[in-house]
Amino acid sequence: MVLLAKIALGFGATVVLAGAYTFREGVLRVDVDETHGRGQHVHVWVPAAIVPMAMHFVVPRGRMLEAEERSAKFMPLVHAVAKELQKYPEAELVEVHDGPQYIRVRTHNGNLLIDAEEPGQTVHVSCPLATIDDVSRELATLAPAS
Amino acid sequence: MTSRTRHFFHVIAFLAAAFLYAPLGTQAQTSSAQSSTSAHGERWLHVRVISTNSKGETVRVNVPLELAEKVLPAIDHDRLHNGKVRVGCMDCDGVDVRTVFEAVRSSKDGEFVTVQSNDADVSVMKKEGMLFVHVHDKNKPKHSQVEVKVPMKVVEALLSGSKDELDIVAGLHALAGQGDVELVSVKDDENTIRVWLDSKNVTTD
Repeated sequence: MVLLAKIALGFGATVVLAGAYTFREGVLRVDVDETHGRGQHVHVWVPAAIVPMAMHFVVPRGRMLEAEERSAKFMPLVHAVAKELQKYPEAELVEVHDGPQYIRVRTHNGNLLIDAEEPGQTVHVSCPLATIDDVSRELATLAPAS
Repeated sequence: MTSRTRHFFHVIAFLAAAFLYAPLGTQAQTSSAQSSTSAHGERWLHVRVISTNSKGETVRVNVPLELAEKVLPAIDHDRLHNGKVRVGCMDCDGVDVRTVFEAVRSSKDGEFVTVQSNDADVSVMKKEGMLFVHVHDKNKPKHSQVEVKVPMKVVEALLSGSKDELDIVAGLHALAGQGDVELVSVKDDENTIRVWLDSKNVTTD
């Protein structure tokens, strides 16, 4: 009985610690809502801590190489922006109103938030800047030298 | 449960609580620190475009100067390389822009160019370390006023690169050393455009 309790305690503690660590790193969140017709609703929440690792397992190797090649020249820029933006955890960066269209880019609690709205569609993206930094650095490193 | 297990449980509970509450603590600190005035020494470049036409377009851009300084060298596209932009027109129609600027820089304050015509009034003057350009366009159906104010140190820094290129990073660095200043103001019947520099990380309008 005591042995079972110890195993359960160890398992429970591991789950709690793993969960706490995972969500401490933040969550990558993408919400897309189409309100016209039979609009689609896409809501994706991914713990940011697993994104750099998951990239290698979830994305097929071919696709990964293609992504690396295509994004290689932009990655140093993305990496520089993400790295610098981490110094500004609370900032309004861009806000554009154009009639019914609206775009807002800001940082909040160390996350990059992008909100875009137009009639019939809203998109909200939230991603920890540290994750963008990690992923861009990794893609820049993996890219073939030109 | 043995005493060792209980002790172990307390340690795990403490660690879990520490991990869970760490982000909340950070968030609380960040929220309390958040204000319209940014951290000491931060300089922000703001661009605001407000259109009063039927669509009512509004654009607000706030960029930390330090970020722009660090990010620009990472851009290698078209004429922009290593924070410098190749203009290829520093010797426009036989006029050497650098020589003209050098002459303006070393001269005393005053109005250097004044053009008054039926189409537009243009004036260029230097005053207290600033270069002012004022254009009043009368030709358009809707009159427009353009005012540009650039610190001489910034112009100097922009021209500090090699021939035929503007050193944008050096210009931004020089700009960061300036006080709060409105750099560009364009007004006509439909649009208002402002570019200015201050220490606030939000547009307060």
